[in-house]
Amino acid sequence: MPIFEAKSVLKGIHVKEIMRRQVVRLRVDAPLDRCIQHMIKFKVNAVLVVDEKNLPLGIVSKTDLVSAFYAGLPLETAVENIMVGPLRFCFPDDALEASLDTMQQNRIHRLFVRGAQAQEVIGVLAFPDIVGLIYRYCRTCSRNLLKLSGRGPAEASLLQVKDVMTPGVASNRKSDSLQAVIETLTAHRVGAVLILDAGETPAGVVSKTDVILAFRRGLEITSEAGAVMTGPVLTCDAEDVLTDAIQRMIFQDVQRLFVAAGAASDMVGVLSLSDAVRFRSGSCRACTSSRLMA
Amino acid sequence: MIARDIMQKTYHTLSPQQSVAEAVKAFQTASGMEKKKVFGLMVTDEKDHLVGMLSMYDILLFIHPKHIHVWGEMEDVDLSEFYEGRMERVKSVRVEDIMTPEVVTIRPDTHLMVIADIMIKKHIRRLPVVEGKEVVGIVYISDVFYHMLSKFTA
Repeated sequence: MPIFEAKSVLKGIHVKEIMRRQVVRLRVDAPLDRCIQHMIKFKVNAVLVVDEKNLPLGIVSKTDLVSAFYAGLPLETAVENIMVGPLRFCFPDDALEASLDTMQQNRIHRLFVRGAQAQEVIGVLAFPDIVGLIYRYCRTCSRNLLKLSGRGPAEASLLQVKDVMTPGVASNRKSDSLQAVIETLTAHRVGAVLILDAGETPAGVVSKTDVILAFRRGLEITSEAGAVMTGPVLTCDAEDVLTDAIQRMIFQDVQRLFVAAGAASDMVGVLSLSDAVRFRSGSCRACTSSRLMA
Repeated sequence: MIARDIMQKTYHTLSPQQSVAEAVKAFQTASGMEKKKVFGLMVTDEKDHLVGMLSMYDILLFIHPKHIHVWGEMEDVDLSEFYEGRMERVKSVRVEDIMTPEVVTIRPDTHLMVIADIMIKKHIRRLPVVEGKEVVGIVYISDVFYHMLSKFTA
């Protein structure tokens, strides 16, 4: 039986070329309060939990902290109580594609990278970090250069936001409680909820980051979503070229854009950095077609 | 020679509840008043107890987009528009969220040699001087350096 190997932009790249060497870690006895502070300060979605000998024990993600808030745990609780395991690892010389497969099979968004010494963690490979790599590849791709010079394929061959976005938008009212917002976040397995005002127009966004920040500020779970939401809502159009949307996410330092179709208040989906990676191909159809031919 | 002899007794502080934008303003004000560039400020609570330290690095890390490293080779993109409105969107973040909470401190009677040693080994450029729980001054690496310099050139 012939073996078909998918051709993608990421082929031939190893974990060591893309992993982050800065691993944000906390001791098991650190309070949740400190964990939230680290996530905001270092802009990470999860923190590695280690014992007093610096050996890895588990992981605490923003999702875990949102759940802790929902469950009414105090901020002084040690991370030990909410950390999850077992940890999944990869090695610096592993193929990036294989590591991405591991992440998708286990439905996780990061792998820790093991060094030469047993138990030692030397880096972290996070799903959204890979988008930069794909983007860089497309920038230097001959097709893209043709496009820039105006002699290349028409815009039609470029991928659009609607091709890779996650359709559907989870939303809550401004007057809803944080409790309701957390329920929406969990039910839809999303990182952020669109907040609508009384007139059904988007007023802001409450992300998991906003929820854990509210937790840190000592807000009650009954507080209104309107009190913690951030605005304005960053949007792109379903017809926008994917690369332009990715560029906006990278520069504006956000993990997602809400996708509008036609009228500005009509949201049809969400484009996250992870969506762009899940596609794994570059940002135009050149890669998709070559993949079919492989 | 001890910390008390070389420390600066006037210093500027931030409150943990200030926004990042307010902290940036405080850096500007402090630099103006001191007539030198200020690279880090102490964060104290209402009882004057030290709760952290906010350095220029912390603020830069926060303002700097996380995935921007891929942009190094791309000179044709106009960066100015991307910083627009950034402070507005992150106004919920406060000094206490991005400061360094574990601060190395010294006492007024800490010896100069020990101070220099901490600064060199831990790559610290400013050390708050704490008596009991209260901040009484700050020693900058330049204070240590110029003091030593005067000893060697005298």
